[in-house]
Amino acid sequence: MLKMHNVRKSFRTDTIETHALRDFSLEVKEGEFVSVTGPSGSGKTTFLNIAGLLETPTGGQYLLDGEDVSNLNDRQRSRLRNEKIGFIFQGFNLIPDLSLFDNIDVPLRYRGFSAKERRKRIEKVLEQVGLSARAKHLPAQLSGGQQQRIAIARALAGEPRFLLADEPTGNLDSLMARQVMELLEFINEWGTTIVMVTHDPELARRAHRNIQIVDGQVCDLRPVTEQPEAATA
Amino acid sequence: MLELKPMLSALWRNKVPALLIALQLALTLAIISNTVVIVKDRIAKIERPTGIAVEEIIAINVMAIPNNYDMIGAVSSDLELLRKLPFVKDATITNQVPLSRSGSAGTFYTQPNQEVGGEVSNRYNTDPNFINTLGLKLVAGRNFTNAEMQYFDPSEIRDINVAVITQQFADKIYPDQDPIGKPLYDGNTSHPIEIIGVIERHLGAWVDWSKAGNVAFFPIVRNTQDVNYLVRAEPGKRDDVLKTLVDKLSERDPQRVIKTRVLSEYVARSYAGDNLMVKVLSIVAATLSFIVALGIVGLTIFWINQRAKQIGVRRALGASRSNISRYFLIENSLIAVTGIALGSAAALIVNQYMVRDYSQPVLTLLPLLICALLVLVVSLAAALAPALRAANISPATATRSV
Amino acid sequence: MIGYYISLALRSLRRTPTLSALMVAAIAVGVGASMTVLTLNYMMSQNALEHKDDVLFAVQLDSWDVNEAANTTNEIPWQLTYRDAQALLRSDIPTHQVAMHRYGFTVELEESAIRPYTADIRVTTRDFFNLFDIPFIYGGTWEKTADSSPMQVVILSKATNEKLFSGEDSVGETVILNSQPFTVIGVIDTWEPSPKVYDVNNGSFTKVESLFVPFGLHRKLEIYSWGNTNGWDSGEGEGYEGFLQSESVWIQYWVELTNKEQKTEYENFLTAYIQGQKDQGRFERPLKFALSKPSEWLVLNEVLSDDNRVLGWVSLAFLLVCVINAVALLLAKFLRKAPEAGVRRALGASRNAIFTQHLIESSTIGILGGIAGILLAFMGISGIRYLAMGQQDTVARMDWVMVIAAIGLALIASLLAGLYPAWRISRTNPSIYLKTQ
Repeated sequence: MLKMHNVRKSFRTDTIETHALRDFSLEVKEGEFVSVTGPSGSGKTTFLNIAGLLETPTGGQYLLDGEDVSNLNDRQRSRLRNEKIGFIFQGFNLIPDLSLFDNIDVPLRYRGFSAKERRKRIEKVLEQVGLSARAKHLPAQLSGGQQQRIAIARALAGEPRFLLADEPTGNLDSLMARQVMELLEFINEWGTTIVMVTHDPELARRAHRNIQIVDGQVCDLRPVTEQPEAATA
Repeated sequence: MLELKPMLSALWRNKVPALLIALQLALTLAIISNTVVIVKDRIAKIERPTGIAVEEIIAINVMAIPNNYDMIGAVSSDLELLRKLPFVKDATITNQVPLSRSGSAGTFYTQPNQEVGGEVSNRYNTDPNFINTLGLKLVAGRNFTNAEMQYFDPSEIRDINVAVITQQFADKIYPDQDPIGKPLYDGNTSHPIEIIGVIERHLGAWVDWSKAGNVAFFPIVRNTQDVNYLVRAEPGKRDDVLKTLVDKLSERDPQRVIKTRVLSEYVARSYAGDNLMVKVLSIVAATLSFIVALGIVGLTIFWINQRAKQIGVRRALGASRSNISRYFLIENSLIAVTGIALGSAAALIVNQYMVRDYSQPVLTLLPLLICALLVLVVSLAAALAPALRAANISPATATRSV
Repeated sequence: MIGYYISLALRSLRRTPTLSALMVAAIAVGVGASMTVLTLNYMMSQNALEHKDDVLFAVQLDSWDVNEAANTTNEIPWQLTYRDAQALLRSDIPTHQVAMHRYGFTVELEESAIRPYTADIRVTTRDFFNLFDIPFIYGGTWEKTADSSPMQVVILSKATNEKLFSGEDSVGETVILNSQPFTVIGVIDTWEPSPKVYDVNNGSFTKVESLFVPFGLHRKLEIYSWGNTNGWDSGEGEGYEGFLQSESVWIQYWVELTNKEQKTEYENFLTAYIQGQKDQGRFERPLKFALSKPSEWLVLNEVLSDDNRVLGWVSLAFLLVCVINAVALLLAKFLRKAPEAGVRRALGASRNAIFTQHLIESSTIGILGGIAGILLAFMGISGIRYLAMGQQDTVARMDWVMVIAAIGLALIASLLAGLYPAWRISRTNPSIYLKTQ
């Protein structure tokens, strides 16, 4: 599903050059649920941005679904992002002045679906996350957990094969966090590949596999069961 | 103390918005300073003394219907009638209405048969009552007498004997000399016209003319198809007099078409173009300042919002409210000064074209400085409210995520 | 997708009503001010003889004082002397030619309730109507003999015919002008060139004369000009005949020359004429004449004044400030919405999509500003009519061209204003807005 080989990413300012990723290699198989942990500034987010085609690597090779995406232009990358990738963020990132219905509508619009098709899909995912009754509400009228469920619904509406989650439970209390986690596991069981960045060792342990990133490199690949404790920030 | 260096580097990172404000201020200064000099120039032109009692005078045009009408006979009867009307101070006949943009001019010389070096003057054919009717002031010599009046056919060329001229014309044609008793030659003729009187000031027929104020009066009535009378009413009685004029004149002789118009309307029409420039340019300058001020307010608010957290951190680290306001005001002044420097240069360059291509007045340093100050004040005033608001950002903002 | 963007734009405008109103107002004021002035300048720059611009020529001959050039932009008197006009009329080279000037008569009808009034008259040769393409409703122009011998015939404007004869066919009726009977031989249709290109000497934006009489009447009625009469030599002749033979210039002269050969031939004719006059002691200045097309004539006579040009530049600069102002405000507004753009990017919007979305938002502001700007321009134009005291009524009015131009100007202004902010937001890295910290 995802294969990175010797990926590098460096940021350059006037004076300093920082290496966010160095010779980063990783493979995620179809249907896997991978958690990513690591200290702050280790390169987790950079990895996620490259995986999600939001940033281009400085060097190395990235194959998504068998296709080399390192040299695609913005339009092609946006297309892939729209069709194959779903995003979930710590801060939910719902668009505040769009209703829940319209928020879920956003990726479908860029997909170019007909109005009928969009409505069908939106109603379906709203039902899946159990918020059908609130379609007309604005995000601010919902609790954090509900907002994150809408964000997940938005990510799922386009039926992506690949879901990227960045601290999806970071802003939620433990009860809600568990509900969201259960939803993600349910999605994964239906065949969607998930990569989740988290600080929470308990959540990380619930994934099939945990990757630790330290200093821009994959530090250790161990089965989840053997991992003693995630590194703390 | 001022932290100029970090301030400049902060500005540099926000260079586009800062530049946009500076650019707006520069253009505004360039426009306003150039419009101010034009407006000042036009107001001075409109407010020039006319030398006549504009508000008390009515102009009458009388046109004979029959082709061989005895206009000269009619004129004396008409004037006699007009002068006897209630509230009428005096009445006169003239070939042209003052300040009406329609009149006659000629070139006059100091030597007989001279061909070059003459002076152009507006010329009135009128009678001795013109001084009293127009409200002119005789400063030297004497007025014409009725005995000196001459009556001509329209194209008849007959020698004129005496003239009254304005001080301005006298100064031009006989500089530093007493003009009384000196000769004038009408075109390259050889017959001297004696200057018998000088009046203080009269603008003449054309307000836009470069020689406006050069005026000569001659005691002539021509037997033309149409003539103009000027009637001066008692102060405040002009409109009462106006009501009766047409009826009285038609009653005396119905064989004419009579039209009246108050002199103040002629004057307003003559200056309509200048008045239009003054009004339009003033509105433009005022609106422009207002719009630019709004733009600065909008952008400063945005800018402060962007940096709310940073401000909170500063406050948490011990910066006082006034420190914060001052920071933004000084930052704004830096931008304003840049804009003003650019604007002054632009204003002077633009003015060169205005002077060269469109014959507008020269922009001197003082008005430019005043406008620059005005632009600075407007820009600081616009930044003041957002800057004060920035000072109210709580230090707690620093610890909260956005 | 456009519909989606427009609905997003409207939503975004509603979300920040004050800022949106400010931007719309800035564009509206800029467009309103510049359209007011540009409309005026556009109307003043019209050329009613555009369609005959290549074949019509205003004739100027330098008959002026040997000691001093005439005080005009090309240093040739605007008008001709009567005797030169008469001499030129004898040429049969031009297809049509007109000698003319403005005059005034008292007008009355026999046994009519209409009170005598004074009217502006054009004294002209018969080709006036052909040369300037003036359509007749009734009758037609006079015969050629009327251009040189007195015939008391008159052609009425449509408005005059309505006033005197209720708009009916008045050919053959009698009108009394200065107590002389004149026979109506024609009525022309409405013809209102603005600027009054055929005679810009007597005010460029005044009304066309209401009656037309033949050029052969001068001696009989002792007709002078009701326009400018400029002289430099007081002359020797006595009486009216002396005036006609003097060096005073007061006759306007136009010719129609349909091709280059004809024009060259006419130029040769004028050269020869001036040479001949020089031999008789006239035309003492260097040989100079001018044939100006209508478009050149308008420029030469500075119909669009310096003041108008200044106002034009000022209003364009004003619009520029408004555009820069809009750039700044749009930048502020768009960057505040940058997180939303980041989310959209993550959800599959390309840079182009973000760019288009924001450009459409600024165009929406532009269209609203343009509509408000047109209203302001209408107000501005009525303001100018008022300030000009009726002297610019024929030009201070908006036609459809200008309404469309106003919307276009607003749209271009707001597109230009939106270009940079939209580009800027489409280029920002979405990932920085997605991370919450």
